[in-house]
Parts: sequence; structure tokens; C-alpha cells
Amino acid sequence: MTGREHDIVRTFIKLSDRLVDDFDVVEVTTELAEQCAELLGVAAAGLLLADVGGVLHLLAATSHHVRTVEILQLQAEEGPCLDCFRTGRPVSVADLKAHRDRWPRFSAVALDEGYASVHAIPMRLRNEVLGTLGLFGTSPGALEEEQLAVAQALAHVASLAIVQQGHTLPASHVLTGLQAAVASRRLLEIAKGVVAESLGIGMDEAFIRLRGYARLRDQHLGEVARRVVSEAPARRAALLAELAAVGGPS
Amino acid sequence: MDSRAAMRTGLTAALSGTGHGREAADRLCGACVNLLNVDGAALSMIYDGAISRSLGSSSSISRELDELQFTLGEGPCLDAVSSAAPVLIADLNDPAMQRWPGFARAATQRGVLAVFALPVAVASLPIGALDLYRTRTGDLADSVLEGGLIAAELAAMPLLDLMGLDLSAAVSDEGSDAWQQLGSLTRLEVYQAAGILIAQLGVSASEALVRLRAYAFSHNRTASEVALDIIEHRLRLPDDATDDPISTEGDGHR
Repeated sequence: MTGREHDIVRTFIKLSDRLVDDFDVVEVTTELAEQCAELLGVAAAGLLLADVGGVLHLLAATSHHVRTVEILQLQAEEGPCLDCFRTGRPVSVADLKAHRDRWPRFSAVALDEGYASVHAIPMRLRNEVLGTLGLFGTSPGALEEEQLAVAQALAHVASLAIVQQGHTLPASHVLTGLQAAVASRRLLEIAKGVVAESLGIGMDEAFIRLRGYARLRDQHLGEVARRVVSEAPARRAALLAELAAVGGPS
Repeated sequence: MDSRAAMRTGLTAALSGTGHGREAADRLCGACVNLLNVDGAALSMIYDGAISRSLGSSSSISRELDELQFTLGEGPCLDAVSSAAPVLIADLNDPAMQRWPGFARAATQRGVLAVFALPVAVASLPIGALDLYRTRTGDLADSVLEGGLIAAELAAMPLLDLMGLDLSAAVSDEGSDAWQQLGSLTRLEVYQAAGILIAQLGVSASEALVRLRAYAFSHNRTASEVALDIIEHRLRLPDDATDDPISTEGDGHR
């Protein structure tokens, strides 16, 4: 096995281990995005999910940076990820500059931020498209067939993870899974805001601390987020003090 | 996908007329009856941690049954909220379903034989529930359940509006598209900013969202723009919602 094949195998083993246990969907998909970017050598990756209204929402990304998040959120209106979601087929843009007229608003922001290539992979389940995995590179270039296959496999894993955690309803589990995933991402953002403002740190750092704390205590990231947002003032203050004591990335 | 889109269009249209809050809640419940093949619908909100107010309904029986759950302290609506998951009861007479003897008796006496309670939540924090009632037994078809979930998602907007009624600013944009209104709460920066407001003002998450939305509406700006100003500390909302906002830079506008 080559070093790269070894990395791919290790990634899938790690992810499948996570999925057989009770897991947190935002945490697992964030990890998936991070692994995907690393394996495929792209600068940023993000997962976008469609809600019941068919609108794309950001579920997980490698970056919490305002500009990158903005580029991903712009896909709700135009861009390769939206086209991929609508057609259910991969959209590969090896050189974004050459295609800037196709998505003028998106291209302007993405090029400005230093991205030069975009690859959007559909997240499918049976005949339904759930969302898109978007990969953003800082240099022009196509993905090799094997890389695309790895990205597609990771997108499948993400689809299964999302449907799995919405198991409360046997009938319409896909839809409840999507709704629950989008909602827990929003809850995480509220928690990031509380932590960032209370501790005087940035949103990236707030996420790192929330995740670090959840891992340290073996708790779901979503549960920690819920406590940060909903606890009574005294208990929230105690929790924030613990978060302040958590170190950097683990 | 097509039937889902049609369902969404129909439900959205119910929220797109004039008037908001209670009227919109009533219209949404009426649309559920027309589009979802149910005989009654009611929308309730959580107040002070407990579900306690029925805000919209398609008929007096639906409202009565919703309010009865608060009086009895039992019922599918309360369970849907506490478990944050839909509670689907296809036959209230089924002995295996007798989780709420008082409620089941009252409902069946009124000819209601099935009830489907769907939680209404913002960022997975429950703010209310949408109850669908049927005078016949049987499960909801998948497409109807999907429609119910869409309605529950849309119901968040009139509920937030009603929470904001005590605030000075009117929140709802009359005549605008309901999904667009809901769209004002889809951007992640809005939730980050709500978190900042929780830390600054000591308010709950739903109140933080209500205040942010009210401020954006009364200043003719999008929720996203206001959120970015709050995140970048260019704007600080006042402790008391009726005060003028405190701006840390110029007039708070970029």
C-alpha cells in the first residue's frame, strides 16, 4: 500500500468507528470535512445540506473564518454547489477564473479570497439529493478520477451519518435527519457566540474550545452547545469557566 | 420532490398575507387542514419553560384539545416538546397508546381519534408545537408527514413574532414571502450574534433572535447585516429592548 492509500484506509476506519457508536452529527461531519480536505489536498471543504424548503445550509466546514463561511453560504443562491445539488451530478471547475461569468457573485468573492478551483460532489440517498460536498482549492486544477471517487465515498458517509442520527421517525427519517442536522449547526453557532463573547476570544477559538471540552468529557458537541445556551446563569458561568481552562486544539 | 414543493408553496402562501402573529398562526393551521388531509390543527407556544398558550387553530375543537393538554398536564403536544421529537398517535383508542388517559378520553369524546404532535423549534431549541388532529384512525402518509414538518418549520416565524409583541418594534414584514422571512434566520452569523446577545444582555436564545430581528426590521436592514455588526462589535443592542441602541461606531451603519 502506498502512503496515500494508507491514509485513505485510515480515514475510513476512523469514520466508520465513529458511526457505529452514538455520535454527534455536526462533530462527525466537521471531522469528515477536515479529513477530506487533507486527503485530497484542498484548502477548504464544506458540507451543505438542503432543508425542507430545498434551500442549502452550511452544516460543517474546515474553517470558521467569516469569509470562507460566507463563500459557502453564498452557494444557497448561486455557485457550483447549488448546480450540483439541483442536478444531482458532480460539478468540477478546474479554473474558476475561466468560468467567472457562470457564477458572477460567487466567483468574485471566491477569487478574491484566493480560491482558484471548486469541486462539488452530490450527497445522495437513493433517488434524493440531500446536499453537496464542496471542495475549494487555492490553485487551478482538476481532481483525478481516484480523488473524485474518494470524495464521493466521503459524501456517501456524510449522507448516511445525517440520516442515521434522525432515527426518531421511521417514515420520514431523511427529512427529520436533515432538519435536525441543520438545527444543531445553528445551536452550535449560538454557543460559539456565547463563548466568544464571554471569554473575549474569536469564533474559531470558541469552536476549538467547545470541541476540546466535548472530547475531554466524552460528551456530544451538541449537548455541550445546548448547555452553554440554555443553562441558568450560575451554571452557565461555571461551564464557561471550565471552557476557559480548556487548552487549544486537541 | 415535486409534491413537497407544492406542499411548501401552499403552506407558505398561508403565511404571506397581511397581519401576523396570531392571524398568521390561524391561517397556517387552516392551511394544514386544507393541504394535509387532517381535520384540525393547533399551534401552541412555550412560555417560561412550559407549553402554556394556544396561539392559533383551525377550529374551536382543535384549540380546546390543545388547551386541555395544558390543563391536564399531559398529552402528545407536551411530550413532543419535552422529547423534541414528533409524537405520532394513529389510534387514541389503542390500549398500547394510553399514555395520556385523561387526554385520550377527552379527545375521543369529541370525535378525535388520531393526533400527530410536531415540535416547533429554533436552532433545535423548542419554542412550541404544532398539533394535527384527525377524526379517523390511521397513520399519516409520508408525504403528509413531510408537509407537517414543513408547516412546523414555518410555524417558528409567527411564534417568534408573538414572543416579540411586547417589544416596541413590529417584526413581521407584511405581505412578504414567508420562506424569505424564515430565510432571514438561515444565515449562521445571525445565530453567532444571538449568542453574543445572550452573553451581553442575559436573555434567552429566542429572545435574542427576536430582538435582533426587531432591530433589523425597524432599521430597515437585513438580520445578517445587523448580525455582522454585532459580531464585529460595531453595534451593541441596549439592555432594555425599548431603549435606543448604543452604537459604538458612528450611527451603527456601515
